Amino acid sequence: MTGIRRNSNDITLFSGVDWITVILYLSLTILGFIAIFSATYVEDSENILSFEHKYIKHLFWLGISYTAALIILLLDRSMWHKWAYIICAGTIFIVLMTFIPGLGKTVNGAKAWLGFGGFTLQPMELAKVGISLATARIMSEYGYSVQKFGDVIKVLLLLLIPMGIAVLQNDTGSGLVFCSFLFMFYREGLDNWICVPIIFLAALLILSFLLSPGVLLITLIVIFTFSAGMLMRNRWKACIKYVAALLIISTLLFLALGFGFGFKFDYYDCLLYTTMASMVAVVVYAYRKNIRKLYFLVLLFFISVMCLPTSDMVFRHLKPHQQDRIRTFLGLEDNRDLLYNVNQSKIAIGSGGLTGKGFLEGSQIRYGFVPEKHTDFIFCTIGEEFGFVGAVVLFSLLCMLILRLMKMGDRQLEAFGRVYCYCVASILFFHCFINIGMTMGIVPVMGIPLPFISYGGSSLLGFSLLVFIAIALDASPIKRQSTLRKW
Amino acid sequence: MNNPRNDKWRHRILRWIVFGLFLFFAGRTAYLQLIEGNQYIDKAENNVIRYVITYPPRGEVFDRNGEYLIQNKICYDLMVVPRETPRDGIDTARLITITEEPKKRLVRSLNEARKNWRIASPVVKYLSAEAKLKLDEWNIPGFYTVPRTVRQYPRNIGGNLLGSLSEVSQRFLDKYNEEGYYTRGDYIGEQGIESAYERELRGEKGRIRRNIYDNNTATNEVEKEAVAGKNLVSTIDASLQAFAEELMEGKVGSVVAIEPATGEILVMASSPTFDPNELVIGRQRGNHYMALLNDPRRPLFNRAVTSPQPPGSTFKLLNGLIGLQEGVLKPHYRYTCNKGYRAGNIKMGCHEHRSPLDLDYAIATSCNAYFCNVYRNILENKRYKSPKEGYEVWRNYVEQFGFGVKLGSDVTGERKGTLMHREYYDKLYRKSWNALTVLSVSIGQGELQATSLQLANFAATIANRGYYYTPHIIKQIEGQDSIDIKYRTPHYTSVDKKHFETIIKGMWRGVNVDGTCQLAKLEGLDVCGKTGTAQNPLGDDHSTFISFAPRNNPKIAIAVYVEHGVWGSTAAVPIASLIEEKYLTDTITRPWLVEYVKNLKLDYYKAYDRHKKK
Repeated sequence: MTGIRRNSNDITLFSGVDWITVILYLSLTILGFIAIFSATYVEDSENILSFEHKYIKHLFWLGISYTAALIILLLDRSMWHKWAYIICAGTIFIVLMTFIPGLGKTVNGAKAWLGFGGFTLQPMELAKVGISLATARIMSEYGYSVQKFGDVIKVLLLLLIPMGIAVLQNDTGSGLVFCSFLFMFYREGLDNWICVPIIFLAALLILSFLLSPGVLLITLIVIFTFSAGMLMRNRWKACIKYVAALLIISTLLFLALGFGFGFKFDYYDCLLYTTMASMVAVVVYAYRKNIRKLYFLVLLFFISVMCLPTSDMVFRHLKPHQQDRIRTFLGLEDNRDLLYNVNQSKIAIGSGGLTGKGFLEGSQIRYGFVPEKHTDFIFCTIGEEFGFVGAVVLFSLLCMLILRLMKMGDRQLEAFGRVYCYCVASILFFHCFINIGMTMGIVPVMGIPLPFISYGGSSLLGFSLLVFIAIALDASPIKRQSTLRKW
Repeated sequence: MNNPRNDKWRHRILRWIVFGLFLFFAGRTAYLQLIEGNQYIDKAENNVIRYVITYPPRGEVFDRNGEYLIQNKICYDLMVVPRETPRDGIDTARLITITEEPKKRLVRSLNEARKNWRIASPVVKYLSAEAKLKLDEWNIPGFYTVPRTVRQYPRNIGGNLLGSLSEVSQRFLDKYNEEGYYTRGDYIGEQGIESAYERELRGEKGRIRRNIYDNNTATNEVEKEAVAGKNLVSTIDASLQAFAEELMEGKVGSVVAIEPATGEILVMASSPTFDPNELVIGRQRGNHYMALLNDPRRPLFNRAVTSPQPPGSTFKLLNGLIGLQEGVLKPHYRYTCNKGYRAGNIKMGCHEHRSPLDLDYAIATSCNAYFCNVYRNILENKRYKSPKEGYEVWRNYVEQFGFGVKLGSDVTGERKGTLMHREYYDKLYRKSWNALTVLSVSIGQGELQATSLQLANFAATIANRGYYYTPHIIKQIEGQDSIDIKYRTPHYTSVDKKHFETIIKGMWRGVNVDGTCQLAKLEGLDVCGKTGTAQNPLGDDHSTFISFAPRNNPKIAIAVYVEHGVWGSTAAVPIASLIEEKYLTDTITRPWLVEYVKNLKLDYYKAYDRHKKK
């Protein structure tokens, strides 16, 4: 056993590096390069190595990313914890630079880009690194607990910064990525019955204009009361009392006001106002019984009810193209262009068959039927040219990488490393879910890239940094020694 | 802080969530690629390959002198690809001024086009060249014009003879489109030459296989060249046709002139007629068509072939021929006529003339009594067992002359007229009938109807002394040495040539010496003719006249039928005479007669005009 033991002098550049993750990473980036080459190859080009070509640019970015990865492994592996806040501040500062006229560039309507010379950079991709580090740092502070309302709010406030900026940049998709941190929160022990209503809320937001406000409100009350009941375990009586009181008071209010002023309003309004007022009672109840978890629910409920009065309040504040995407997805509207994009994307994937049409042979990709074939719809290229086999290889690589990151997180002894790894896993998971889902028409179209595969230097660099910092943390001697000590 | 067991549970759940998502993706991909794969492969192919149909120019039609009867004209359709139009809309007011399209229709077609966001749809059809130039100058993104040919009829004659084009109907597509040549939106000839020679005129559509390599670039590969439609030469004499239509204006009836030696139809005028240009596919076609359809005088009807009428006294010639052939009539037979014919309680009136009279004069003066005797003799011939059998023999002769059958010409809408079978009378009179029962047939009335084409053909048969060629309106098809054999085979009758001479002698006398149609006399042309006056319950008698000229080596045989034209000599004779004169001499020596015909006022109130909507 002593043979395994090492002191700090033995530590070389690659010691402790999780090679499986590195191999997964390299395979994905190479697969990505092949896909991008196929999607952007121009047959009648005079110079196939010209820097004009997107695949050459991507090759350049691959070089930068690999170098950055190497540098990260070279750096002191404890620096990430120390420098987390500074890195976060730095990246957010770069993100804010997009608002400086002259530096900021608008691509596809999103003011989320910085341009230098021939290159453009989307700093939000880098901010993911900073935010993940900062989140990990906050959550690894002494005495931090996701059970505490105040502690969770700290992280939420941090996450609100990039999300707010993303909305201002008209790049909501990138902002939504941070919602995926729920995944990490769950791992850190956020109560089930807080996670469930959040997921329901997300679903309700998308469905909000399919249902009438009344139905929505009642659904919300039922979900939240049930969650509260689950949270408080054996206090079902209180929940039933609460719902009964709500119904009785709102009905009385309805009748009283009705006979007083004539029935110029809906029962819905009475129920809404009664419910809002009842929140005070709930807070008092939670305080007196010392059930702090209830505060989460009150907050969540308050936010969701705020969005309700006119059920599509949130929806109205979305940009027209975002409204279109959701409406089209739900089949409420047939925006020909959007439907066309998704249809063509499905045709590209579907026509791939078992083994695909072969490299550079996909007609949907070659002839420009699939929009954004090298960025957001890159999965179509793989699906069409390499078929089911190619798709399954890609899925396995991505799935294994995410699982590997989670595993790396789980084996950390330090909360910092664990939270960070889970943050990375969350971000990758969210990107894969939205991006692949969107090409197959399962998820509304959102402009976010497929990690390591999509064309785009910033996202490639960002994801590389995310993964290699995780590898570096995983390989840190502190962890290794403590692992050994455990034996 | 965290319950370790709970912890393990949680990351296990998360792992399953991640694994589950990718499993779901794999399943979805498998569904798209392996189960629905073939469907998507087809769709992907349809994306890349488009078949574009190319339309050949339709054949044009010339008259016998090389003048255009039907010509192609280029006009333009305004197309729009809604996706490429400016986001902030276009200046519709200006579009309306240029295209002269009503706002309502324009807006409707624009909305219709918007349903196919990426596909070009027509907005305004049949634009003039000037409008096209203005639009080109304006150059709105997403809008462009495409040329297309439409028909035009330079002489404005022969509406229902030439026919028109219409969009192929759904009914046609369902029932008659056996070769699958036509698709929705194709044009097809309707009525007349356009319909009868549809196959020759339309040519063959071509097909281009278009590989779309990009949104903008495409390669075209011609799979099948379009074959241009064949040009046709008609037998119609355009100026003569125009003259006939001019003379027939205001009257209801028809004129058919045939060249006896070939069966070529020189004139086929139906009145009232219409300007074929009104029915050219275009924005006004529908309105014009409905107006024509609702006209109680039925201008869409080609009366020359679709409107059988009693031939009247012109039919006496045929009875004379049959009598002569059967031997029951000799030219020198004389019968008395005392203002009519009486037998039993049957009385057939006649007009004032010398009596007794022989065949010659009976034809010239159109004596009813004489031909009642002739007809009775034919039916009551001792050779046959009964008049019923005699009738069958008679009917057989009549059919040989093209009555009661379709002649088989290439004019659309031809009808066979009325010629009853013996069984009809057997049934009607319960087998107890004789020559007297059907006596009115002897003078071309009763259960007997013939179209003007049949009458003209009859005149041609007499002119040819016993045979006729099936009348036709097309004499030459581009790329073919000759027309169909059926128009080049003579149809012989079983009446002997010498009997025709006898009849022609009477016809010549009627025009040139002392008959009913002396108005038709043309110095030096030896016109032969026979008038007819058919009684009918809807007003004045129908006026009809068949004629040919010259007597020897005839150049033209003509039949004129003017409904409710009073006497044969009132309306039909002058019209026929003028047409013959114009055709044979190319001059009009009797302008007063033209004036007379044009100013002729006939009374159609009872027959047609009382139905007219006020």
